[in-house]
Amino acid sequence: MKSLALESLSKTYFDPYRGTQFTAIKDVSLNVEEGDFVAVVGPSGCGKSTILNMIAGFVPATGGRILVGGREVSGPGRDRGVVFQSFALFPWKTVIENVAFGPKMRGIGKAERNRIAQEYLELAGLGHAADRYPNELSGGMQQRVGVVRALANEPDVLLMDEPFASVDAQTRMTLQEELTRIWEERRPTVVFITHDVPEAVFLANRVVVLTRGNVLAEVDIPLARPRVWDSLVEDDEFKSLSNQVLQLVRSA
Amino acid sequence: MSVDAVTQWSPLPYRRTWQAVKFVAPLLFLVVLWQAVVTIFDVNPRIFPDVGTVARAGWETIRDGSLWTHVGASLWRVSVGTVLAIVIAVPLGIAMGVSKGVSDFLTPLFRFFSVLAGIAWIPIATLWFGYGFGAITFVIFNAVFFVVAYNTLLGVSTIPMPLRHAAASLGTTRWRMLTEVLLPGSLPNIVTGIRTGMGFAWRGLIAAEMIATNTGLGYMLFLARDFYRTEIIVFAMIVIGLIWLILDRLLLAPIERATVERWGMVQRS
Repeated sequence: MKSLALESLSKTYFDPYRGTQFTAIKDVSLNVEEGDFVAVVGPSGCGKSTILNMIAGFVPATGGRILVGGREVSGPGRDRGVVFQSFALFPWKTVIENVAFGPKMRGIGKAERNRIAQEYLELAGLGHAADRYPNELSGGMQQRVGVVRALANEPDVLLMDEPFASVDAQTRMTLQEELTRIWEERRPTVVFITHDVPEAVFLANRVVVLTRGNVLAEVDIPLARPRVWDSLVEDDEFKSLSNQVLQLVRSA
Repeated sequence: MSVDAVTQWSPLPYRRTWQAVKFVAPLLFLVVLWQAVVTIFDVNPRIFPDVGTVARAGWETIRDGSLWTHVGASLWRVSVGTVLAIVIAVPLGIAMGVSKGVSDFLTPLFRFFSVLAGIAWIPIATLWFGYGFGAITFVIFNAVFFVVAYNTLLGVSTIPMPLRHAAASLGTTRWRMLTEVLLPGSLPNIVTGIRTGMGFAWRGLIAAEMIATNTGLGYMLFLARDFYRTEIIVFAMIVIGLIWLILDRLLLAPIERATVERWGMVQRS
């Protein structure tokens, strides 16, 4: 795991219909320490997914730099693992083949990469589903696979793009608790994109509020860990932090 | 959820039998109807013979071995033409799906040639290859090639972007992307292309064999006409239809079931 730094990151699109430039991200700087958990929230169209796609290397930045462990990066790479809203599991691979995919690309032999994958599947409580195909699993289980597939490749930074937005509310809370548990156990460096304010406050050490391509505010979340919904849902500190962030998002 | 649904189905062998019965029953009904119509209206056997006459004519071609010669020749041509077409069309389709330049250049050409694909090629094919195996295989190749290439292109371009992104951020190189993502991801469309293409090929084959050869099912059909052997014509038509049904249901459909349906990439039909 390593730190992540964004230095004056910008993204300008050319709008072919208007014939003008459109600035999605303006001069965003952000530091994420090694082993930190940062959530980025903001209303739709604030540019949060654009930022994640630039960090992942799926779209090129038009200005600024992205540093992973002090080294500038461009293009996708295995140092930055990504968890997608649409899960993006390979439907033609079994669950264990999906999780073992990163190690396979690194040239790790079959026995060893299956051992790694099985270990990560156990971590997510999915040991029994190893030989199933993704379409045979529920959405919640699919995204558990998505998370451990990224982790099993030992990325320096874990990028999560609204990963729990397409599962039902109960499953979402379970997944959030599982993610905090896994994070507390393994301490990956995480950037978590969401529009769900309580989710951001529940998960992160720090919440970054983004509006119109700019960082509006950063809010530290000093809530004690381990965090579980049963105790936090009525917790005054959690409620006041959520309110504070919500006000910032709504003021945007 | 879907796993539980599968286990609740009736036992597999029973289901298979039932499906086979459902498939064969309408065909048997047609045979019964045919015999009834011929008997009731006392149809001239030159126009349309009864079931028994056709069966005896068929048995005759089986006993003297001529049926196997014709079926063997037809199947061999289809196999060679199809395999050649797939081997060339799939890589080309993927290249088109990956590179916009290649796709832009080839798409108009493909549109043009897919209209021509089929028996329009027979005259020039016979000039190039002479009568027989070469010309007919070329026609088959044409029928399969464009459909498979086009469907492969379609398959590659409809792979969801997040899948390619996921593979890239897991450290996939360009070459591995091809074998690990683009090829399996476009397989549903490739299989569809092969099924469609072979359907075209089988039709084109019969037409080509009427013109450009002296063995094969099409030739058998055409030759029988010259001798007014209506019962052979009918028998050959039945064989042509049955072989296609067998090819499709026992070879192509199971391939589809074992791969793309299991992955949930197409709906079970």
